[in-house]
Amino acid sequence: MKQPALRHVGDLHQNKLGYLFTAPAFLVLVLMVVYPLIYGIVISFFDTNLVNRFDFVGLKYYKRLIVDETFYASLGRTAIFTIFTVAGRTVLAVLFANLLVMDSMPCKTVFRSILVLPWFFPDVVVGILWRWLYNANYGLFNFILRTIGLADAPIEWLSNSKTAMWAVIMVSIWKGFPFMMVMLLAALQTISKDLYEAAELDGCGVFQRFLHVTLPGIMPVLSTTLMLEIMWCFKHFTLIWNLTKGGPVDATQVVSIDIYNTAFQYTRYGESSTRAVFVFVIIIILTVMQKKMKRKEA
Amino acid sequence: MGQRRKFPVAGLILVILGCLMVLVPVYWMVITSFKAAPETFRNPPTLWPESFTLDAYRKVIDDYSFGDFFLNSVIVVVGSTLLTILVATMAGFGASRFRFRGKGAFLGFVLVTQMFPSVIMLIPYFRILKLYGLINTHLGLIIVYISFQVPLCTWLMYSYFETIPKDLDAAAAIDGLNNWGIFRKIALPLSLPGIASTSIYAFINSWNEFQFAMTLTTTEDMKTVSVGIGQMIDDTMINWNDMMAASILASIPLILVFIFCQNLFFEGLTAGGVKQ
Repeated sequence: MKQPALRHVGDLHQNKLGYLFTAPAFLVLVLMVVYPLIYGIVISFFDTNLVNRFDFVGLKYYKRLIVDETFYASLGRTAIFTIFTVAGRTVLAVLFANLLVMDSMPCKTVFRSILVLPWFFPDVVVGILWRWLYNANYGLFNFILRTIGLADAPIEWLSNSKTAMWAVIMVSIWKGFPFMMVMLLAALQTISKDLYEAAELDGCGVFQRFLHVTLPGIMPVLSTTLMLEIMWCFKHFTLIWNLTKGGPVDATQVVSIDIYNTAFQYTRYGESSTRAVFVFVIIIILTVMQKKMKRKEA
Repeated sequence: MGQRRKFPVAGLILVILGCLMVLVPVYWMVITSFKAAPETFRNPPTLWPESFTLDAYRKVIDDYSFGDFFLNSVIVVVGSTLLTILVATMAGFGASRFRFRGKGAFLGFVLVTQMFPSVIMLIPYFRILKLYGLINTHLGLIIVYISFQVPLCTWLMYSYFETIPKDLDAAAAIDGLNNWGIFRKIALPLSLPGIASTSIYAFINSWNEFQFAMTLTTTEDMKTVSVGIGQMIDDTMINWNDMMAASILASIPLILVFIFCQNLFFEGLTAGGVKQ
Protein backbone atom coordinates (compact mmCIF):
# COMPACT_ATOMS: atom_id res chain seq x y z
CA MET A 1 0.00 0.00 0.00
CA LYS A 2 2.94 2.39 -0.53
CA GLN A 3 1.38 5.31 -2.35
CA PRO A 4 3.05 8.55 -3.40
CA ALA A 5 2.04 11.61 -1.42
CA LEU A 6 -1.43 12.90 -2.09
CA ARG A 7 -0.65 16.18 -3.78
CA HIS A 8 1.64 14.49 -6.31
CA VAL A 9 -0.92 11.92 -7.24
CA GLY A 10 -2.08 12.07 -10.82
CA ASP A 11 -5.57 11.41 -12.06
CA LEU A 12 -4.88 7.75 -12.49
CA HIS A 13 -4.05 7.34 -8.83
CA GLN A 14 -6.96 9.48 -7.82
CA ASN A 15 -9.18 7.16 -9.81
CA LYS A 16 -7.71 4.05 -8.26
CA LEU A 17 -7.86 5.34 -4.71
CA GLY A 18 -11.36 6.70 -5.15
CA TYR A 19 -12.55 3.32 -6.34
CA LEU A 20 -10.69 1.52 -3.60
CA PHE A 21 -12.31 3.49 -0.81
CA THR A 22 -15.81 3.54 -2.28
CA ALA A 23 -15.80 -0.07 -3.50
CA PRO A 24 -17.34 -1.65 -0.37
CA ALA A 25 -20.20 0.88 -0.33
CA PHE A 26 -20.70 0.44 -4.05
CA LEU A 27 -20.91 -3.33 -3.66
CA VAL A 28 -23.45 -3.00 -0.84
CA LEU A 29 -25.57 -0.66 -2.94
CA VAL A 30 -25.54 -2.90 -5.99
CA LEU A 31 -25.87 -6.29 -4.31
CA MET A 32 -28.09 -5.38 -1.40
CA VAL A 33 -30.18 -2.48 -2.66
CA VAL A 34 -30.35 -2.50 -6.45
CA TYR A 35 -30.51 -6.26 -6.89
CA PRO A 36 -33.46 -6.77 -4.49
CA LEU A 37 -35.17 -3.75 -5.99
CA ILE A 38 -34.97 -5.16 -9.51
CA TYR A 39 -35.97 -8.55 -8.16
CA GLY A 40 -39.03 -6.91 -6.62
CA ILE A 41 -39.97 -5.32 -9.94
CA VAL A 42 -39.53 -8.67 -11.71
CA ILE A 43 -41.77 -10.49 -9.21
CA SER A 44 -44.56 -8.02 -9.97
CA PHE A 45 -44.93 -9.73 -13.37
CA PHE A 46 -45.28 -13.23 -11.89
CA ASP A 47 -47.88 -15.31 -10.16
CA THR A 48 -45.68 -16.97 -7.58
CA ASN A 49 -45.55 -18.66 -4.21
CA LEU A 50 -41.81 -17.81 -4.04
CA VAL A 51 -40.92 -21.50 -3.79
CA ASN A 52 -41.62 -23.50 -6.92
CA ARG A 53 -44.34 -21.72 -8.82
CA PHE A 54 -43.29 -18.81 -11.04
CA ASP A 55 -45.93 -18.23 -13.70
CA PHE A 56 -45.34 -15.22 -15.90
CA VAL A 57 -48.53 -13.17 -16.05
CA GLY A 58 -47.25 -10.03 -17.76
CA LEU A 59 -49.17 -6.88 -16.94
CA LYS A 60 -52.16 -8.72 -15.51
CA TYR A 61 -51.69 -7.43 -11.94
CA TYR A 62 -51.03 -3.90 -13.14
CA LYS A 63 -54.24 -3.92 -15.16
CA ARG A 64 -56.11 -5.24 -12.16
CA LEU A 65 -54.52 -2.73 -9.84
CA ILE A 66 -55.41 0.42 -11.78
CA VAL A 67 -59.11 -0.40 -11.51
CA ASP A 68 -58.90 -1.63 -7.92
CA GLU A 69 -60.92 0.76 -5.78
CA THR A 70 -59.72 -0.64 -2.48
CA PHE A 71 -56.16 0.18 -3.49
CA TYR A 72 -57.10 3.77 -4.29
CA ALA A 73 -58.86 3.92 -0.95
CA SER A 74 -55.68 2.91 0.85
CA LEU A 75 -53.70 5.41 -1.24
CA GLY A 76 -56.19 8.07 -0.14
CA ARG A 77 -55.76 7.05 3.50
CA THR A 78 -52.00 7.20 3.07
CA ALA A 79 -52.34 10.72 1.68
CA ILE A 80 -54.49 11.80 4.63
CA PHE A 81 -52.09 10.23 7.10
CA THR A 82 -49.09 11.85 5.40
CA ILE A 83 -50.57 15.32 4.94
CA PHE A 84 -51.92 15.70 8.47
CA THR A 85 -48.93 14.07 10.14
CA VAL A 86 -46.41 16.24 8.31
CA ALA A 87 -48.53 19.37 8.78
CA GLY A 88 -48.89 18.71 12.50
CA ARG A 89 -45.22 17.97 12.94
CA THR A 90 -44.27 21.10 11.00
CA VAL A 91 -46.50 23.37 13.09
CA LEU A 92 -45.14 22.00 16.37
CA ALA A 93 -41.54 21.92 15.13
CA VAL A 94 -41.60 25.50 13.81
CA LEU A 95 -43.35 26.75 16.94
CA PHE A 96 -41.07 25.10 19.49
CA ALA A 97 -37.85 25.68 17.53
CA ASN A 98 -38.63 29.39 17.36
CA LEU A 99 -39.51 29.55 21.04
CA LEU A 100 -36.39 27.66 22.10
CA VAL A 101 -34.13 29.94 20.09
CA MET A 102 -35.40 33.12 21.80
CA ASP A 103 -32.80 34.86 23.94
CA SER A 104 -35.28 35.54 26.70
CA MET A 105 -36.39 31.91 27.05
CA PRO A 106 -35.18 30.41 30.34
CA CYS A 107 -33.96 26.80 30.81
CA LYS A 108 -33.55 26.26 27.09
CA THR A 109 -31.53 23.05 27.33
CA VAL A 110 -33.94 21.47 29.80
CA PHE A 111 -36.94 22.26 27.61
CA ARG A 112 -35.16 21.03 24.51
CA SER A 113 -34.23 17.76 26.19
CA ILE A 114 -37.82 17.17 27.23
CA LEU A 115 -39.26 18.06 23.84
CA VAL A 116 -36.96 15.70 21.91
CA LEU A 117 -37.79 12.80 24.21
CA PRO A 118 -40.47 11.11 22.01
CA TRP A 119 -37.85 10.64 19.33
CA PHE A 120 -35.89 8.35 21.65
CA PHE A 121 -38.61 5.77 22.13
CA PRO A 122 -38.86 2.92 19.62
CA ASP A 123 -41.87 3.10 17.28
CA VAL A 124 -43.26 -0.15 18.66
CA VAL A 125 -43.08 1.18 22.22
CA VAL A 126 -44.83 4.40 21.23
CA GLY A 127 -47.58 2.38 19.54
CA ILE A 128 -48.12 0.17 22.58
CA LEU A 129 -47.98 3.09 25.02
CA TRP A 130 -50.66 5.02 23.14
CA ARG A 131 -52.89 1.98 22.87
CA TRP A 132 -52.86 2.00 26.64
CA LEU A 133 -53.45 5.76 26.83
CA TYR A 134 -56.40 5.44 24.43
CA ASN A 135 -57.83 2.40 26.26
CA ALA A 136 -61.59 2.92 26.59
CA ASN A 137 -62.09 1.66 30.15
CA TYR A 138 -58.83 2.17 31.98
CA GLY A 139 -56.90 4.58 29.76
CA LEU A 140 -55.68 7.98 30.88
CA PHE A 141 -57.30 10.03 28.12
CA ASN A 142 -60.82 8.87 28.75
CA PHE A 143 -60.28 9.49 32.45
CA ILE A 144 -59.14 13.06 31.75
CA LEU A 145 -62.02 13.71 29.37
CA ARG A 146 -64.56 12.43 31.87
CA THR A 147 -63.00 14.38 34.71
CA ILE A 148 -63.19 17.70 32.87
CA GLY A 149 -66.66 16.78 31.65
CA LEU A 150 -65.96 16.55 27.92
CA ALA A 151 -67.25 13.00 27.59
CA ASP A 152 -69.78 10.98 29.58
CA ALA A 153 -69.27 7.59 27.92
CA PRO A 154 -65.82 6.15 27.27
CA ILE A 155 -64.60 6.80 23.74
CA GLU A 156 -63.09 3.89 21.84
CA TRP A 157 -60.54 5.96 19.94
CA LEU A 158 -58.83 3.15 18.08
CA SER A 159 -61.74 0.79 17.48
CA ASN A 160 -64.13 3.37 16.09
CA SER A 161 -63.62 3.80 12.36
CA LYS A 162 -64.48 7.50 12.60
CA THR A 163 -61.78 8.35 15.12
CA ALA A 164 -59.10 5.70 14.46
CA MET A 165 -57.22 7.56 11.72
CA TRP A 166 -57.11 10.79 13.72
CA ALA A 167 -55.97 8.94 16.80
CA VAL A 168 -53.16 7.36 14.77
CA ILE A 169 -52.16 10.72 13.27
CA MET A 170 -51.95 12.27 16.76
CA VAL A 171 -49.51 9.57 17.84
CA SER A 172 -47.48 10.00 14.69
CA ILE A 173 -47.20 13.75 15.23
CA TRP A 174 -46.16 13.22 18.86
CA LYS A 175 -43.47 10.76 17.89
CA GLY A 176 -42.10 12.65 14.89
CA PHE A 177 -42.09 16.40 15.58
CA PRO A 178 -38.79 16.38 17.57
CA PHE A 179 -36.66 15.39 14.57
CA MET A 180 -37.87 18.33 12.54
CA MET A 181 -37.57 20.62 15.54
CA VAL A 182 -33.88 19.72 15.97
CA MET A 183 -33.15 20.32 12.29
CA LEU A 184 -34.93 23.71 12.45
CA LEU A 185 -33.17 24.69 15.68
CA ALA A 186 -29.82 24.24 13.94
CA ALA A 187 -31.03 26.23 10.94
CA LEU A 188 -32.40 29.04 13.11
CA GLN A 189 -29.06 29.44 14.86
CA THR A 190 -27.44 30.32 11.52
CA ILE A 191 -29.72 33.35 11.01
CA SER A 192 -27.88 36.55 11.89
CA LYS A 193 -29.29 38.59 14.80
CA ASP A 194 -28.64 41.76 12.78
CA LEU A 195 -31.40 40.79 10.39
CA TYR A 196 -33.92 40.68 13.23
CA GLU A 197 -32.75 44.00 14.58
CA ALA A 198 -32.97 45.58 11.15
CA ALA A 199 -36.48 44.21 10.71
CA GLU A 200 -37.48 45.55 14.10
CA LEU A 201 -36.12 49.00 13.24
CA ASP A 202 -38.22 48.89 10.10
CA GLY A 203 -41.22 48.40 12.34
CA CYS A 204 -41.88 44.72 11.68
CA GLY A 205 -43.98 42.93 14.29
CA VAL A 206 -43.41 39.42 15.53
CA PHE A 207 -45.42 37.87 12.74
CA GLN A 208 -43.80 39.95 10.01
CA ARG A 209 -40.35 39.20 11.31
CA PHE A 210 -41.19 35.52 11.15
CA LEU A 211 -42.45 35.90 7.59
CA HIS A 212 -39.60 38.03 6.22
CA VAL A 213 -36.57 36.92 8.23
CA THR A 214 -37.15 33.54 9.87
CA LEU A 215 -38.96 31.76 7.08
CA PRO A 216 -36.49 32.60 4.30
CA GLY A 217 -33.65 31.70 6.67
CA ILE A 218 -34.94 28.22 7.45
CA MET A 219 -36.43 27.53 4.02
CA PRO A 220 -33.56 25.38 2.62
CA VAL A 221 -33.52 23.11 5.66
CA LEU A 222 -37.30 23.14 5.98
CA SER A 223 -37.89 22.04 2.40
CA THR A 224 -35.33 19.24 2.59
CA THR A 225 -36.73 18.01 5.90
CA LEU A 226 -40.31 18.25 4.61
CA MET A 227 -39.43 16.10 1.64
CA LEU A 228 -37.80 13.49 3.88
CA GLU A 229 -40.80 13.53 6.22
CA ILE A 230 -43.25 13.10 3.37
CA MET A 231 -41.34 10.10 2.03
CA TRP A 232 -41.06 8.54 5.49
CA CYS A 233 -44.75 9.02 6.26
CA PHE A 234 -45.79 7.71 2.88
CA LYS A 235 -44.16 4.37 3.55
CA HIS A 236 -44.71 4.29 7.30
CA PHE A 237 -45.76 0.98 8.80
CA THR A 238 -44.69 0.32 12.39
CA LEU A 239 -46.74 2.83 14.41
CA ILE A 240 -49.96 2.14 12.55
CA TRP A 241 -49.46 -1.62 12.66
CA ASN A 242 -48.93 -1.58 16.41
CA LEU A 243 -51.85 0.74 17.06
CA THR A 244 -54.55 -0.74 14.86
CA LYS A 245 -53.08 -3.31 12.44
CA GLY A 246 -54.90 -1.30 9.76
CA GLY A 247 -58.30 -1.63 11.40
CA PRO A 248 -61.02 -1.25 12.46
CA VAL A 249 -62.20 -2.93 9.24
CA ASP A 250 -59.76 -0.99 7.08
CA ALA A 251 -60.09 2.52 8.50
CA THR A 252 -56.33 2.92 8.94
CA GLN A 253 -55.16 0.58 6.20
CA VAL A 254 -52.48 2.63 4.45
CA VAL A 255 -50.53 1.32 1.44
CA SER A 256 -47.65 -0.12 3.45
CA ILE A 257 -50.07 -2.28 5.44
CA ASP A 258 -52.00 -3.13 2.29
CA ILE A 259 -48.77 -4.30 0.61
CA TYR A 260 -47.73 -6.28 3.67
CA ASN A 261 -51.10 -8.01 4.03
CA THR A 262 -51.34 -8.83 0.33
CA ALA A 263 -48.03 -10.63 0.53
CA PHE A 264 -47.91 -12.18 3.97
CA GLN A 265 -51.58 -12.68 4.90
CA TYR A 266 -52.92 -13.65 1.47
CA THR A 267 -49.58 -14.89 0.01
CA ARG A 268 -50.20 -13.01 -3.23
CA TYR A 269 -46.58 -12.00 -3.66
CA GLY A 270 -46.83 -10.88 -7.28
CA GLU A 271 -49.77 -8.59 -6.63
CA SER A 272 -48.08 -7.22 -3.54
CA SER A 273 -44.98 -6.35 -5.57
CA THR A 274 -47.16 -4.60 -8.15
CA ARG A 275 -48.46 -2.36 -5.38
CA ALA A 276 -44.95 -1.67 -4.11
CA VAL A 277 -43.78 -0.72 -7.62
CA PHE A 278 -46.78 1.61 -7.94
CA VAL A 279 -45.83 3.36 -4.69
CA PHE A 280 -42.22 3.55 -5.86
CA VAL A 281 -43.35 5.38 -9.00
CA ILE A 282 -45.43 7.80 -6.94
CA ILE A 283 -42.43 8.61 -4.75
CA ILE A 284 -40.27 9.21 -7.83
CA ILE A 285 -42.89 11.60 -9.22
CA LEU A 286 -43.06 13.46 -5.90
CA THR A 287 -39.28 13.78 -5.80
CA VAL A 288 -39.04 15.07 -9.35
CA MET A 289 -41.78 17.61 -8.60
CA GLN A 290 -39.92 18.79 -5.51
CA LYS A 291 -36.66 19.14 -7.47
CA LYS A 292 -38.45 21.26 -10.08
CA MET A 293 -40.02 23.45 -7.42
CA LYS A 294 -36.66 23.94 -5.74
CA ARG A 295 -35.11 24.97 -9.05
CA LYS A 296 -37.87 27.50 -9.55
CA GLU A 297 -37.18 28.99 -6.13
CA ALA A 298 -33.48 29.39 -6.91
CA MET B 1 -40.49 47.16 23.99
CA GLY B 2 -43.60 46.27 25.97
CA GLN B 3 -44.45 43.65 23.40
CA ARG B 4 -41.02 42.10 23.86
CA ARG B 5 -41.45 41.66 27.56
CA LYS B 6 -44.94 40.26 27.19
CA PHE B 7 -44.12 37.73 24.50
CA PRO B 8 -41.83 35.34 26.42
CA VAL B 9 -44.59 34.72 28.98
CA ALA B 10 -46.92 33.39 26.31
CA GLY B 11 -43.99 31.56 24.78
CA LEU B 12 -43.01 30.04 28.10
CA ILE B 13 -46.57 28.81 28.66
CA LEU B 14 -46.56 27.20 25.22
CA VAL B 15 -43.23 25.49 25.83
CA ILE B 16 -44.41 24.19 29.20
CA LEU B 17 -47.60 22.88 27.57
CA GLY B 18 -45.44 21.17 24.96
CA CYS B 19 -43.32 19.57 27.68
CA LEU B 20 -46.47 18.34 29.43
CA MET B 21 -47.71 16.87 26.17
CA VAL B 22 -44.46 14.88 26.02
CA LEU B 23 -44.11 14.03 29.71
CA VAL B 24 -47.66 12.95 30.57
CA PRO B 25 -47.60 9.84 28.34
CA VAL B 26 -44.08 9.00 29.51
CA TYR B 27 -45.13 9.41 33.15
CA TRP B 28 -48.16 7.18 32.54
CA MET B 29 -45.89 4.51 31.08
CA VAL B 30 -43.48 4.63 34.02
CA ILE B 31 -46.08 4.53 36.82
CA THR B 32 -48.09 1.80 35.10
CA SER B 33 -45.00 -0.39 34.97
CA PHE B 34 -44.66 -0.20 38.77
CA LYS B 35 -48.29 -1.00 39.52
CA ALA B 36 -49.58 -4.44 40.41
CA ALA B 37 -51.83 -5.95 37.74
CA PRO B 38 -55.21 -5.43 39.53
CA GLU B 39 -54.44 -1.77 40.07
CA THR B 40 -54.24 -1.18 36.30
CA PHE B 41 -57.92 -2.18 36.02
CA ARG B 42 -59.06 0.49 38.44
CA ASN B 43 -61.60 3.05 37.36
CA PRO B 44 -60.86 5.89 37.92
CA PRO B 45 -57.16 5.05 37.49
CA THR B 46 -54.65 5.76 40.23
CA LEU B 47 -52.24 8.53 39.30
CA TRP B 48 -49.57 7.21 41.64
CA PRO B 49 -48.95 3.48 42.24
CA GLU B 50 -50.51 2.42 45.56
CA SER B 51 -47.68 -0.01 46.17
CA PHE B 52 -44.52 -0.02 44.12
CA THR B 53 -43.79 -3.46 42.73
CA LEU B 54 -41.31 -4.89 40.25
CA ASP B 55 -43.66 -7.81 39.47
CA ALA B 56 -44.23 -6.65 35.92
CA TYR B 57 -40.51 -6.50 35.20
CA ARG B 58 -40.01 -9.92 36.76
CA LYS B 59 -42.86 -11.42 34.74
CA VAL B 60 -41.62 -10.01 31.46
CA ILE B 61 -38.11 -11.31 32.01
CA ASP B 62 -39.01 -14.68 33.55
CA ASP B 63 -42.19 -15.73 31.73
CA TYR B 64 -41.43 -14.30 28.32
CA SER B 65 -38.20 -14.62 26.38
CA PHE B 66 -37.47 -10.93 26.76
CA GLY B 67 -33.80 -11.64 27.46
CA ASP B 68 -33.50 -13.51 24.15
CA PHE B 69 -35.25 -10.71 22.28
CA PHE B 70 -32.90 -8.18 23.80
CA LEU B 71 -29.80 -10.21 23.04
CA ASN B 72 -30.90 -10.76 19.43
CA SER B 73 -31.41 -7.04 18.99
CA VAL B 74 -28.02 -6.25 20.47
CA ILE B 75 -26.24 -8.73 18.18
CA VAL B 76 -28.04 -7.62 15.03
CA VAL B 77 -27.90 -3.89 15.74
CA VAL B 78 -24.28 -3.76 16.91
CA GLY B 79 -23.12 -6.04 14.09
CA SER B 80 -24.87 -4.09 11.37
CA THR B 81 -23.87 -0.72 12.82
CA LEU B 82 -20.17 -1.62 12.99
CA LEU B 83 -20.08 -2.92 9.42
CA THR B 84 -22.12 0.00 8.16
CA ILE B 85 -19.81 2.54 9.76
CA LEU B 86 -16.70 0.85 8.35
CA VAL B 87 -18.13 0.88 4.83
CA ALA B 88 -19.66 4.35 5.10
CA THR B 89 -16.55 5.97 6.58
CA MET B 90 -14.31 4.59 3.84
CA ALA B 91 -16.73 5.65 1.12
CA GLY B 92 -17.26 9.08 2.67
CA PHE B 93 -13.51 9.64 2.85
CA GLY B 94 -12.94 8.35 -0.70
CA ALA B 95 -15.66 10.52 -2.19
CA SER B 96 -14.57 13.59 -0.26
CA ARG B 97 -10.81 13.32 -0.88
CA PHE B 98 -10.25 11.92 -4.37
CA ARG B 99 -11.32 12.97 -7.81
CA PHE B 100 -12.38 9.91 -9.73
CA ARG B 101 -14.55 9.12 -12.71
CA GLY B 102 -18.12 8.41 -11.72
CA LYS B 103 -17.86 10.17 -8.37
CA GLY B 104 -20.84 12.41 -9.08
CA ALA B 105 -22.84 9.42 -10.23
CA PHE B 106 -21.87 7.51 -7.08
CA LEU B 107 -23.00 10.30 -4.77
CA GLY B 108 -26.20 10.81 -6.74
CA PHE B 109 -26.85 7.10 -6.56
CA VAL B 110 -26.42 7.13 -2.78
CA LEU B 111 -29.07 9.83 -2.49
CA VAL B 112 -31.47 8.19 -4.93
CA THR B 113 -31.56 4.98 -2.89
CA GLN B 114 -33.28 7.05 -0.19
CA MET B 115 -36.33 7.19 -2.41
CA PHE B 116 -36.78 3.45 -2.60
CA PRO B 117 -39.70 2.46 -0.45
CA SER B 118 -38.33 -0.33 1.72
CA VAL B 119 -41.47 -2.49 1.35
CA ILE B 120 -40.53 -3.07 -2.28
CA MET B 121 -37.54 -5.05 -0.97
CA LEU B 122 -39.47 -7.01 1.62
CA ILE B 123 -40.55 -9.84 -0.69
CA PRO B 124 -37.18 -10.06 -2.51
CA TYR B 125 -35.33 -10.25 0.80
CA PHE B 126 -37.79 -12.83 2.11
CA ARG B 127 -37.10 -14.97 -0.96
CA ILE B 128 -33.33 -14.37 -1.14
CA LEU B 129 -32.75 -15.08 2.55
CA LYS B 130 -34.91 -18.19 2.33
CA LEU B 131 -32.90 -19.36 -0.66
CA TYR B 132 -29.62 -19.08 1.22
CA GLY B 133 -30.98 -20.41 4.51
CA LEU B 134 -30.65 -17.03 6.22
CA ILE B 135 -34.23 -16.73 7.50
CA ASN B 136 -34.15 -16.83 11.30
CA THR B 137 -30.46 -15.97 11.49
CA HIS B 138 -28.67 -12.95 12.87
CA LEU B 139 -26.60 -12.71 9.71
CA GLY B 140 -29.73 -12.39 7.56
CA LEU B 141 -31.02 -9.43 9.55
CA ILE B 142 -27.55 -7.87 9.69
CA ILE B 143 -27.36 -7.95 5.89
CA VAL B 144 -30.78 -6.33 5.57
CA TYR B 145 -29.99 -3.61 8.10
CA ILE B 146 -26.68 -2.81 6.40
CA SER B 147 -28.53 -2.25 3.15
CA PHE B 148 -30.83 0.25 4.90
CA GLN B 149 -28.11 2.15 6.70
CA VAL B 150 -25.19 2.33 4.27
CA PRO B 151 -26.65 4.92 1.87
CA LEU B 152 -27.60 7.61 4.38
CA CYS B 153 -24.57 6.93 6.59
CA THR B 154 -22.27 7.27 3.58
CA TRP B 155 -23.90 10.59 2.84
CA LEU B 156 -23.55 11.77 6.44
CA MET B 157 -19.88 10.76 6.54
CA TYR B 158 -19.22 12.41 3.18
CA SER B 159 -20.78 15.66 4.45
CA TYR B 160 -18.68 15.41 7.59
CA PHE B 161 -15.38 14.83 5.77
CA GLU B 162 -16.17 17.81 3.57
CA THR B 163 -16.15 20.04 6.67
CA ILE B 164 -12.58 18.95 7.56
CA PRO B 165 -10.07 21.21 5.78
CA LYS B 166 -8.04 19.41 3.16
CA ASP B 167 -4.86 21.40 3.92
CA LEU B 168 -4.23 18.98 6.76
CA ASP B 169 -3.96 16.09 4.33
CA ALA B 170 -1.39 17.98 2.29
CA ALA B 171 0.62 18.84 5.39
CA ALA B 172 0.58 15.19 6.44
CA ALA B 173 1.64 14.15 2.94
CA ILE B 174 4.65 16.45 3.18
CA ASP B 175 5.49 14.71 6.45
CA GLY B 176 5.68 11.51 4.45
CA LEU B 177 2.40 9.81 5.31
CA ASN B 178 0.84 7.70 2.57
CA ASN B 179 -2.87 7.81 1.81
CA TRP B 180 -3.79 4.98 4.13
CA GLY B 181 -1.77 6.74 6.83
CA ILE B 182 -3.58 10.00 6.17
CA PHE B 183 -6.91 8.22 6.42
CA ARG B 184 -5.97 6.42 9.62
CA LYS B 185 -3.90 9.04 11.45
CA ILE B 186 -5.39 12.34 10.27
CA ALA B 187 -8.87 11.98 8.81
CA LEU B 188 -10.17 9.26 11.10
CA PRO B 189 -9.34 10.97 14.42
CA LEU B 190 -10.67 14.30 13.16
CA SER B 191 -13.90 12.74 11.99
CA LEU B 192 -14.60 10.91 15.26
CA PRO B 193 -17.52 13.18 16.22
CA GLY B 194 -19.02 12.55 12.78
CA ILE B 195 -18.48 8.82 13.11
CA ALA B 196 -20.05 8.88 16.56
CA SER B 197 -23.21 10.65 15.50
CA THR B 198 -23.54 8.57 12.33
CA SER B 199 -23.18 5.39 14.40
CA ILE B 200 -25.84 6.58 16.81
CA TYR B 201 -28.14 7.34 13.91
CA ALA B 202 -27.68 3.85 12.45
CA PHE B 203 -28.04 2.33 15.90
CA ILE B 204 -31.34 4.08 16.63
CA ASN B 205 -32.79 3.21 13.24
CA SER B 206 -31.85 -0.44 13.47
CA TRP B 207 -33.08 -0.75 17.05
CA ASN B 208 -36.39 0.71 15.85
CA GLU B 209 -36.79 -1.50 12.82
CA PHE B 210 -39.87 -3.69 12.99
CA GLN B 211 -41.35 -4.65 9.64
CA PHE B 212 -38.39 -6.57 8.22
CA ALA B 213 -37.52 -8.23 11.51
CA MET B 214 -41.13 -9.37 11.84
CA THR B 215 -41.14 -10.84 8.34
CA LEU B 216 -37.68 -12.36 8.29
CA THR B 217 -37.78 -14.09 11.68
CA THR B 218 -40.41 -16.69 12.44
CA THR B 219 -39.13 -18.56 15.49
CA GLU B 220 -39.52 -17.26 19.01
CA ASP B 221 -35.80 -17.47 19.82
CA MET B 222 -34.73 -15.26 16.90
CA LYS B 223 -37.09 -12.33 17.41
CA THR B 224 -35.74 -8.87 18.09
CA VAL B 225 -37.05 -6.66 20.88
CA SER B 226 -39.36 -4.69 18.58
CA VAL B 227 -40.98 -7.81 17.18
CA GLY B 228 -41.02 -9.57 20.53
CA ILE B 229 -42.92 -6.89 22.41
CA GLY B 230 -45.05 -6.10 19.36
CA GLN B 231 -46.37 -9.65 19.63
CA MET B 232 -46.45 -9.94 23.42
CA ILE B 233 -49.39 -7.57 23.39
CA ASP B 234 -51.52 -10.16 21.60
CA ASP B 235 -51.03 -12.63 24.44
CA THR B 236 -54.18 -12.88 26.56
CA MET B 237 -52.16 -13.55 29.73
CA ILE B 238 -50.37 -10.24 29.58
CA ASN B 239 -51.45 -7.10 31.43
CA TRP B 240 -50.83 -3.45 30.83
CA ASN B 241 -48.31 -3.14 33.65
CA ASP B 242 -46.30 -5.96 32.02
CA MET B 243 -46.47 -4.27 28.62
CA MET B 244 -45.27 -0.97 30.06
CA ALA B 245 -42.39 -2.69 31.84
CA ALA B 246 -41.41 -4.42 28.60
CA SER B 247 -41.68 -1.09 26.77
CA ILE B 248 -39.36 0.61 29.21
CA LEU B 249 -36.84 -2.24 29.02
CA ALA B 250 -36.96 -2.11 25.21
CA SER B 251 -36.26 1.62 25.27
CA ILE B 252 -33.21 1.41 27.55
CA PRO B 253 -30.52 1.59 24.82
CA LEU B 254 -32.13 4.62 23.21
CA ILE B 255 -32.69 6.29 26.56
CA LEU B 256 -28.99 5.79 27.33
CA VAL B 257 -28.18 7.51 24.03
CA PHE B 258 -30.59 10.26 25.01
CA ILE B 259 -28.91 10.76 28.39
CA PHE B 260 -25.26 10.50 27.37
CA CYS B 261 -24.84 11.44 23.71
CA GLN B 262 -27.73 13.72 22.87
CA ASN B 263 -25.67 16.82 22.11
CA LEU B 264 -23.00 14.97 20.18
CA PHE B 265 -25.68 13.25 18.15
CA PHE B 266 -27.62 16.35 17.20
CA GLU B 267 -24.51 18.37 16.38
CA GLY B 268 -23.24 15.70 14.00
CA LEU B 269 -26.63 15.14 12.46
CA THR B 270 -27.27 18.79 11.71
CA ALA B 271 -23.71 19.67 10.63
CA GLY B 272 -24.18 18.40 7.09
CA GLY B 273 -27.83 19.35 6.78
CA VAL B 274 -27.51 22.99 7.66
CA LYS B 275 -24.58 23.55 5.35
CA GLN B 276 -26.39 22.75 2.13
